[in-house]
Amino acid sequence: MSTTRSPAGVSAHELRDMTPEQAMLAGTEADGVHIVHRRDRFPVRGTKAEKRAERGVALAFLVSALAGVGFVVAFVALPFHWHLPGTPQTFRFYTPALGGLLAVMLLFMGVGLVLWAKWLMPEEEVVQDRHDEPSSEEDRLMTQATLAVGLEDTGLPRRSLILRTLGLAGGAIATVPLVAMVGAMIKKPGKQLEHTLFAPNTKLFPPSGRIPLVYSDWRRVSPDDLLPGSIATVFPGVHEEGPDGKNGITSAASPTLVIRLRPGQQIEARKGQAGFGWPPDAPEYLAFSKICTHAGCPASLYEQQTTRLLCPCHQSQFEVLKDAKPVFGPATRSLPKLPIDVEIGSDGRQYFVARADFNEPIGPAFWERS
Amino acid sequence: MTHVHDGLDDDSSTGKGEFVQDDIDIDVDGELGFEPAVSVTGAEPSGRPAGRSRTAPAASKPGSRRVLRRRLGAGAVLIGALVSMGGTYAAFASSSAPDTSNSAGDIAAGRQLYQTSCITCHGANLQGVKDRAPSLLGVGGASVYFQVSTGRMPAAGQGADQKRKTAKFDEQQVKQLAAYIQSIGGGPQLPVGDLRAGDIAKGGDLFRLNCASCHGTTFQGAPLSAGKVAPGLNRATDEQFYAAMLSGPESMPIFSDHQLTPLQKREIINYVQTLKASKDPGGNGIDRIGPVSEALVFFIAGVGAVMAAILWIGAKAE
Amino acid sequence: MSTTTRRSNGPRTPQGKAAKFFDDRLNLAGPMRKQLNKVFPDHWTFMMGEIALYSFIVLLLTGTYLTFFFDPSSAETVYHGRYLPMQGIPMSRAYASTLNISFDVRGGLIIRQIHHWAALMFVGAMLIHMFRVFFTGAFRKPRELNWLIGLTLIVLGIIEGFAGYTLPDDLLSGTGLRIADAIMLSIPVIGTWVSFLVFGGTFPGDVIIERFYIAHVLLIPAILAALIGAHLALIVRQKHTEFPAPGRSEHTVSGERVFPTYAAKAGGFFFIVAAVLAALGGLAQINPVWLFGPYNPAQVSSGSQPDWYMMFLDGSTRLFPSWEVRLWGHTLAPLFWPTVVLPTILLTLAIGYPFLEAKMTRDTLPHNMLQRPRDVPVRTALGVMALTFYLVLFLSGGNDIIAKAFDISLNAMTWGGRILLLILPPLFYIVTYRICLGLQRHDREVLEHGVETGIVKVLPTGEFIEVHQPLGPVDAHGHGRLAYAGTQVPKRMNQLGAGTPLRHVRGFFYPVKEKPEIQAALDELEALEVDQHDVQHQLTD
Repeated sequence: MSTTRSPAGVSAHELRDMTPEQAMLAGTEADGVHIVHRRDRFPVRGTKAEKRAERGVALAFLVSALAGVGFVVAFVALPFHWHLPGTPQTFRFYTPALGGLLAVMLLFMGVGLVLWAKWLMPEEEVVQDRHDEPSSEEDRLMTQATLAVGLEDTGLPRRSLILRTLGLAGGAIATVPLVAMVGAMIKKPGKQLEHTLFAPNTKLFPPSGRIPLVYSDWRRVSPDDLLPGSIATVFPGVHEEGPDGKNGITSAASPTLVIRLRPGQQIEARKGQAGFGWPPDAPEYLAFSKICTHAGCPASLYEQQTTRLLCPCHQSQFEVLKDAKPVFGPATRSLPKLPIDVEIGSDGRQYFVARADFNEPIGPAFWERS
Repeated sequence: MTHVHDGLDDDSSTGKGEFVQDDIDIDVDGELGFEPAVSVTGAEPSGRPAGRSRTAPAASKPGSRRVLRRRLGAGAVLIGALVSMGGTYAAFASSSAPDTSNSAGDIAAGRQLYQTSCITCHGANLQGVKDRAPSLLGVGGASVYFQVSTGRMPAAGQGADQKRKTAKFDEQQVKQLAAYIQSIGGGPQLPVGDLRAGDIAKGGDLFRLNCASCHGTTFQGAPLSAGKVAPGLNRATDEQFYAAMLSGPESMPIFSDHQLTPLQKREIINYVQTLKASKDPGGNGIDRIGPVSEALVFFIAGVGAVMAAILWIGAKAE
Repeated sequence: MSTTTRRSNGPRTPQGKAAKFFDDRLNLAGPMRKQLNKVFPDHWTFMMGEIALYSFIVLLLTGTYLTFFFDPSSAETVYHGRYLPMQGIPMSRAYASTLNISFDVRGGLIIRQIHHWAALMFVGAMLIHMFRVFFTGAFRKPRELNWLIGLTLIVLGIIEGFAGYTLPDDLLSGTGLRIADAIMLSIPVIGTWVSFLVFGGTFPGDVIIERFYIAHVLLIPAILAALIGAHLALIVRQKHTEFPAPGRSEHTVSGERVFPTYAAKAGGFFFIVAAVLAALGGLAQINPVWLFGPYNPAQVSSGSQPDWYMMFLDGSTRLFPSWEVRLWGHTLAPLFWPTVVLPTILLTLAIGYPFLEAKMTRDTLPHNMLQRPRDVPVRTALGVMALTFYLVLFLSGGNDIIAKAFDISLNAMTWGGRILLLILPPLFYIVTYRICLGLQRHDREVLEHGVETGIVKVLPTGEFIEVHQPLGPVDAHGHGRLAYAGTQVPKRMNQLGAGTPLRHVRGFFYPVKEKPEIQAALDELEALEVDQHDVQHQLTD
C-alpha cells in the first residue's frame, strides 16, 4: 500500500514525514493547482504591524458583537407602537435603531472577515489548470457506440408499433396533468366583460328597471349635489352581488364619473350618444366610465376649466367636451358614456338613474371586443 | 368615529410640543426639489398641533375663529349669491356658511386692499378685465381666501395656473379682502369653527376616492395635462383645504356640500393633516414619493454601497 | 497493513475523529480537497453576481419570517389594529395582516422593509452582473448555457418581485395588478381566457392573492433556487473567466484558493451585503402601504409606479403611440405592443446574442479569457445602445414624477421620451464605437511611444519635446516593440511604480520602533528580498 503514489507523485509515507505546509503543497499539485507565489504577510512573528493588524480585526468583531447586544436591547426596550401626532411619536426611532444596529453588526462582521483575509492571511498567487479540453475522441466514440447499441437493444428503431404507442402514452402522461391542473382553472369569459351592473334590472327596480346612481356610501346622486365644474365618482346602486361576488360599489367595472359642466361649456357628442347626458337636449351632466380604456386605471384627474380627464397611470388625456375622446397619450378609445336620466325620488328630490348599460364594454380593449 | 380609543400608551402619552422639524425630511425635500414639506411636521402658521382627534377640544384654535366671526350676515350672502349665480348655487353656498358675520369695518378695509392690489386686473366692480383676469362676482370669500392666502393672488403674471408663493397679505388682511368680495358678489365662504372633525379613517377613504387621483395618496401632487399641476398638499392649512374644496380653484373640481357634506370635508382635512403630521415609522420617508424615490435611493445608496464594497474587497493589497 | 497499525495511525483529536467518521462513509478527502484548493479570480467585477446570491439568501430568511404573520387571503375584513387612520376600513385580510406586520408585530416592519429592499437588490444585482458578463464577453463559448440560465433567473426574479409587490393588496399594487390584467386581456385570441384563468373570473376576483402567494413563496423560489444551483454548478464545472494579464493563459485560471482567503472574503462580503440591506431597511422607508390604503377599484393615486425593475415596461406603455388594430371584428389592443411584444423582443435578442455573435464573427473557439470592452467596439456599442434604450424607458416610467419635480409639462415629457427613444440609442452606438476606437489607438500609441512623463525638454535646436517612458524594449527608431495583448496598458507614471511612497514608513505620529531582535529579523528579510528581486531582473533581462 505504501508504495502507491498519489497523483502528485508522493506516497503516504513521504507525506507523513512532510511539514503540513509541504503536504498542503503536494495536495495542490495533485489537484492541478500551482501556488506560484506565497508569502506570509508577517514573516517575522510579533512585529508591531502584525499586532496592530490583529487588533484591528479583533476590534471589528468586537464592534459587531456589541452592536448585536445593542440590537437585542433596542428590540426589547424601545417603544414601537404607533401613535397619533400630538404625542412624541417615539415609534419613529424603533425601525431605524434596529436597522442601524443590525447593519453595524453585519457590517463589522463582514469587514472583520475581509480584513482578516487581507491583512493576516498569506498573500498568494495561485494558478489552476482548467482541464477543460473537449472530451477525447475515444470517449466520444465509445459513448456514441454505447448509446447506439443500447438503443438497438431496446429494438425501438425496428419496433415502430412500440415506438408509436409509447409516443401516445407519453403524450397522454404529459397532457393529463396539464389538463387536470390548468383545466380546473379555466373560466369561460362569456359576455361578462361586456356588461356592468348598470344594466337595467326590472326585478330589483320595478317597473322601469333603471339603476339608480349612488355615491360610495350608497347615498343617491342628485343633480343638485353637483355645482358647475364638479366631478363625482358614482356607482350602480345595486346591493345584490353579481356572478363575481361583487355588488354595485365593489365591482371593478362599476366606477363611473358624473361631471357637471360649467356654463358655456358645450359638448360635441359622439355618434349614437347624442342624448346620453342630462338634460338630453343641452347636456350639462355627463357620465363616463372611470375605468381607462387603455390599461384599466381609474382615469379621474379632471381639469374643470379645460375639461380634460387625465389617467395617472400612463397619462392618456381625454377631452370631456368631445365625449371623452382620447387626445393625448397611449389610449385609443373614448371612455364609454353612460346614458343617464333623472327621476323624482320619494322625498321629492331629483335623482340620477342609468337609462341603460354602457353601450360598449368598459375598460381596456380585448380580442373579442368589436 | 372609531378612533376615539386612540391607543395612547405609557410610552408616549405625556408629550406635548413634539413639533420640531424632522430634519431628515427637510433634507430630502431640498435635494429632490420638491416643495418643502414644512407642514409634514405639523408646524402650521397658527402653531397648533396637527391631527387632533375628535377627543381633543376645539378651543385650541382661537385665530381662525376670531376672524371667521367677522362675517357678513347670512342674508347678505344669500342675496349676493342669488344675484350672481342663480338659485342652486346660492343654496349650497349659504349652507357652507351658516353662521357668518363680517363687520362693516372688515369690508371697508377689504375694499382698501382691493383698490390698491387687485383693481387693475379684476376691475373696479369685480367684473374682470378682458384678457387679463376673470370676474370675481360670485366667487365667494372661500375662493378669495384660498387664492390670496396661498400667495397665488396677487398673481405674478398672466395665466390660469398660478403657483403657490409667499402670501402678500397677512391672515387678517386676507379675511378682510374676502369679506369685501363676499359683500359685493356673494358665493361660497368658509364656515366658522373647527375644520377638523369626525373619523380620520373615513376621511382617508373619501380622500382616496375624491382627491388622491390628483394630489396622490401621500399628498405629493401631480402634473396635469400640458404643464398644469395639481399641487402637493404639504403646506396647505385647514382653511385652505376647505376653501379649495368649496371653490374649486383653477383646474380643481368643486365639491359642494351635498356631494361631500361639511362633516365629510372636515374628515378629509382631519385625515390629511393627521398624516402630514405623523412621523414615518420606517425610517426616512424619502419624501413619501413611492417607487421612484425608492429607486433613486436604491441606486445611489444601495448599489453605491455594494459597489464600493466590491471595489474595496477586490482591490489588491500594496 | 495490519489493523493495529491502522489504529495506531488513526486520529486522536475530536475534529480528526469526526473527519475520519465522515471520510470512512463518504470518501470525502479527495473531492473536498479539490474544492478547498479551487482557484477563484479576484477581480472586483466578479463579485456582482455574488450580490444577487446574497440578496437571495436574505430574501429567503426574511421571507420565511414574513410568512409567519402574513395572511394571504382576499377575504374581506374590517381593520381594528393599531394604525388609527385605517380603523374601521374594510380591506382584504392580506392588507390587514400587512398592517399588522408593520405596526403590531415587534420588529415586523424592519423585516418587511429589508425584504423589499433585498428584492430590489436581487434583481438589480442580476442585471448589473448580466451587463458585466455581456461587456466582457464572458457569455461566449463554452458559457452560453449559463448565459441562458442567467436570463431565466432575471425574468423569474422580476416575476417573483411583481408577485411579492402585489401581495399586500394595497392601492398602489392593486393598480399595478389591474394593469397586469389589462396586459393579459390585450393578448390576441386567448387574452380574455388568460385573464379569466389567472384571476378565476373577472378582475379582481377572490383568488388572486392566494395564487400569487403560493407562486411567490413556493413555486418561483423553488425554481430560482434550482436554477441558481445550476448556475453555480456550471461555474464550478467550467471555472471562472479572467482578464488577460502576464502569466495567464486560456488553459489556467489564477487567483486565490477557496480556503481560506476566498472563503473569508466571500463570507465577509455576504455580511456586508446583508448590512447594506439592513441599513436600507432600517433607515429608508419603503412601500409604506399604510399611506396608500387598501385596494379599491374605484380609487387611484397620482404618481402610481411599479418597483424599478418593472418601470421600463411602464415607460414603454406611456410612450407607445395610440395605435389600435382592428381585424375582422376583433381588437388588437395598443397595450399589447409595449408590454408583451417589446419585452419578448428584448428577451429574444438577449437569448440569441451569444449565438448570433459567434455566427457573425465566425468564432467557434472556446474562450476563457475576457475581453476589454474597448477591444470589441461593436458589441460594446450594441450593449450601450440597449442600455440607453432601457434607460429612456426606465426614466419614462417615472416621467410624471420628473415632470412635477422639475416643472416640465407632462406632454413634453411624453414627446421627449418618444423622440429620445428613437434618437439616443443609435447616437450612443456611434459615440461608444468611436470612444472604443479612440481608446484602442491610445493603448497602441502608449505601447509604441511610451508613457507621457510630463517632462518637457528643449533641444539644442530649440525644439521642444516631451519625454516618454518606453514600456519595454525599443527598436532603432525608439518605438516600442511590445504588442497589445488585451491587457490594461499603464498610462501614467505612477502605474509604473514611479512616485509611490516608500513602504515601511508606518506610524501616524512617530515612526514605529520594533524591538531590536525583531528589527534585525526584518532587516535580514528585506535584504533577502532585494537579492531575489535582483536575481529575477537579471533572469528576465
